[in-house]
Amino acid sequence: MSHPVELRLSGSGGQGLQFSARVLAEALLRDGRTVAQSQSYEPTSRGGVSRSDLVVSDGDIDYPLVTGLDYLVILDEVAAEFPPTLLKPTATLLVDESRVQTRVAGPWTIRSSPFAEIARALGNERAGNIVALGTLLALSSLCSSASVAAALAAETPPKFLDLNSEAFDAGWRLVQPTPAAEAAHARA
Amino acid sequence: MAAEGIDEFDIRDYLRTELMPHFMCPGCGHGIALRALLWAVHEERIAKDRLAIVTGIGCSGRVGGYIDANTFHVTHGRPLTFATGLALARPDLEVVVITGDGDCLAIGGNHLIHACRRNLRMTCLMLNNEIYGMTGGQVSPTTSEARLTTTTPYGNAEPTFDACGLATAAGAGLVGRGMTLQTVALKNLIREALAYRGFSFVEILSDCTEIFGRKNDLGSSPEMILRQKGSMRPDFYGNTVEHPFRPNNLTTGIIARNERPEYGDTYRSEVLAPHGHGGAAAGVSAPVE
Amino acid sequence: MGEGQRINLQGNHACALGAIAAGCRFYAGYPITPSSDVAERMALELPKVGGVFIQMEDEIASMGAIIGASMGGAKVMTATSGPGFSLKQENLGYACMVEVPCVIVDVMRGGPSTGMPTRPAQGDIMQARWGTHGDHPIVVLAPSSVSEAFSETIRAFNIAETLRTPVVLLYDEVVGHLVETVQVPDPGSIARAERKWATGPREAFQPYAATDDDIPAMARPGDGYRCHATGLTHGERGLPTQNPAEVERAMQRLLGKLERHRDVIDRFETFAAEDAEILVVAIGITARAAKRAVAEARRQGIAAGLFRPVTLWPFPEQPFHALAEQAKAILVPEMNAGQLSLEIERLSGRPAKVARINRLSGEPIEPAEILKIIEELARHGR
Repeated sequence: MSHPVELRLSGSGGQGLQFSARVLAEALLRDGRTVAQSQSYEPTSRGGVSRSDLVVSDGDIDYPLVTGLDYLVILDEVAAEFPPTLLKPTATLLVDESRVQTRVAGPWTIRSSPFAEIARALGNERAGNIVALGTLLALSSLCSSASVAAALAAETPPKFLDLNSEAFDAGWRLVQPTPAAEAAHARA
Repeated sequence: MAAEGIDEFDIRDYLRTELMPHFMCPGCGHGIALRALLWAVHEERIAKDRLAIVTGIGCSGRVGGYIDANTFHVTHGRPLTFATGLALARPDLEVVVITGDGDCLAIGGNHLIHACRRNLRMTCLMLNNEIYGMTGGQVSPTTSEARLTTTTPYGNAEPTFDACGLATAAGAGLVGRGMTLQTVALKNLIREALAYRGFSFVEILSDCTEIFGRKNDLGSSPEMILRQKGSMRPDFYGNTVEHPFRPNNLTTGIIARNERPEYGDTYRSEVLAPHGHGGAAAGVSAPVE
Repeated sequence: MGEGQRINLQGNHACALGAIAAGCRFYAGYPITPSSDVAERMALELPKVGGVFIQMEDEIASMGAIIGASMGGAKVMTATSGPGFSLKQENLGYACMVEVPCVIVDVMRGGPSTGMPTRPAQGDIMQARWGTHGDHPIVVLAPSSVSEAFSETIRAFNIAETLRTPVVLLYDEVVGHLVETVQVPDPGSIARAERKWATGPREAFQPYAATDDDIPAMARPGDGYRCHATGLTHGERGLPTQNPAEVERAMQRLLGKLERHRDVIDRFETFAAEDAEILVVAIGITARAAKRAVAEARRQGIAAGLFRPVTLWPFPEQPFHALAEQAKAILVPEMNAGQLSLEIERLSGRPAKVARINRLSGEPIEPAEILKIIEELARHGR
């Protein structure tokens, strides 16, 4: 990875965006990457726009905030509005179609899936963030499945670990993983 | 009149005599309070090296500087906050706060109620002379109604604080009131406060003759001191005392006891001990003996 | 940072861990966004090393408590944000006057008043220097990364203990809440400075004696010195004085002591600055945006450079002078209405060549914005 990769996980406060960002950052750390994770939040803990950004690099990160997103995940209608100039033209968007009504359009690769609904079918709608994380990692080749599994185990409270593992797998199976991601998965 | 088995009390053993003459006005009650404290320290056999005096700003704040001990003259109203840090970091010290009615009840009122609530071991002596003396005689939270001060030229219209009632309600472990009129009783009260394992609060009725007394035509110093047992104090000083020194309409002596755990002990047993630390807190190496 | 552990760490947590590593064993604080993570981490970590954490009734009390604990001999810290920092200023002045080592963290948010609690700003640059009344010595360090939040906290303790002075650790909300992959060194590898304690016979000891290095030894309660500490102007014996000659001598030593120890205090980073015609000066997250902008400008052939004061106060004047001299223009981007730029204008010798970018919206200044002004300065000069 020569250039830093930039990601944003956005949605509504309480959807576990900080949690999934922490899991992802932990997995990337295990893979030997360098990450910078920042967040923006409203004074209200629940319901307001919440987002967590990651800059991923193989070396030092000069500026740790996002300036050109490669990936944008939108998990709730409150986060459907975003500054288009923040996205690279080649960016990929993941939109939770079960919670976002606004039709997101633009020059990017846009992929809609019912993350929250899938999570609800698994027993808890609040695992939608992890379903989306599975899809995100299947589409990208950001980190190995082994590191994600280890990070999930390290960060998840024991009673939710089965749920989160299932949610991640469900997200992963939603797409045809890229060859690089598949290879990383196989190595795990 | 030495206590059993110890040398007779000589106040000069506890003073920085090189600082004499002191700054207090003739007739000021604070010197009597200072003597009572040092007498109590002597009888409690507290080593001067282990004695830490923390004072605020005002006439009461200047009293500490004359004591031959570890003395800290801090900011206005905040001595209890400094003392809290000192007592938690150094549980081996005997921490005594000397404060005034303005320092303790006005600008420092919030710190007083929380020190009472916490019940960390220290002794707080509040010298109540009903006035801001050092700044020239302004009204304080304990100035009796109708009294003249430089900021109540038509008489004080505000009601007063009952400091002991406040300390009791806030949960102070030991609450008492003494007077400069009764020096032996005051000394014994301070002894109880020093020996108490928790937060002890002692209000000491002192007198400002030079400013408050003159302004209100209260007569000479002896007259003002004698007035302490009379009717000059508000009605809420009722006669409900546990061990009255003598009958009068002031509640003196021990006013309240709230038997509660001492905060430092609780912190060490509940928070530090489970991590294998129970003794000295705050990583401060033991002082050289 | 050498051997140790590679982890993802938040800026505020890095500050707390740096404090523990530096030997901090007493913390008093009061909840305030965006600094509360420091208190929460200290509450978790201090008992593990036998230290004391206490949440006080207000910001004033927490400042009083750390000074009291430090006078008892502990290494101490408190953390807050702008509104709380304002409340601490009175007791901070006491610590300056009595020369009590302590570390005060100010995680800057939008102000004035309650402002924007969850948004970053850099509006306390002047409060950190001049917040308390009267002339006073103070050291202010300005980390710009999580790694520096750790290492500069350690340096803050070492400076505070060595020079008997309060040290303010000043960073914006972005640095406070940022999580970065960092190398945390082994605790054993960290150099800790210890305070100079009073030794020798009591009779000869003067708590504020002018020593070789202008840093008086401190008397620890219980060690037998029985000294007096007061916020009143005091002479060498520690006792109040209004004798003009004695006051003059005492104040000259107090105000001059930091200047004598610039070698311990000064720290700065330069990037492509040696031959810079356009010199950018910035701190905190803004400095990191500036670094990227400078790198991009260099790729375009513009002779841009960065000067980042890591020690903000006293400002590293000497190293800055030479660079400022050669620069045709100086650019000061900052998240306030113009505070650092005042000092840069003063030090530049020619205020007219100092350009500003000021941001009050609660959003960080981006690299592209700084680059744009660098390009303009390169084209049209200043």
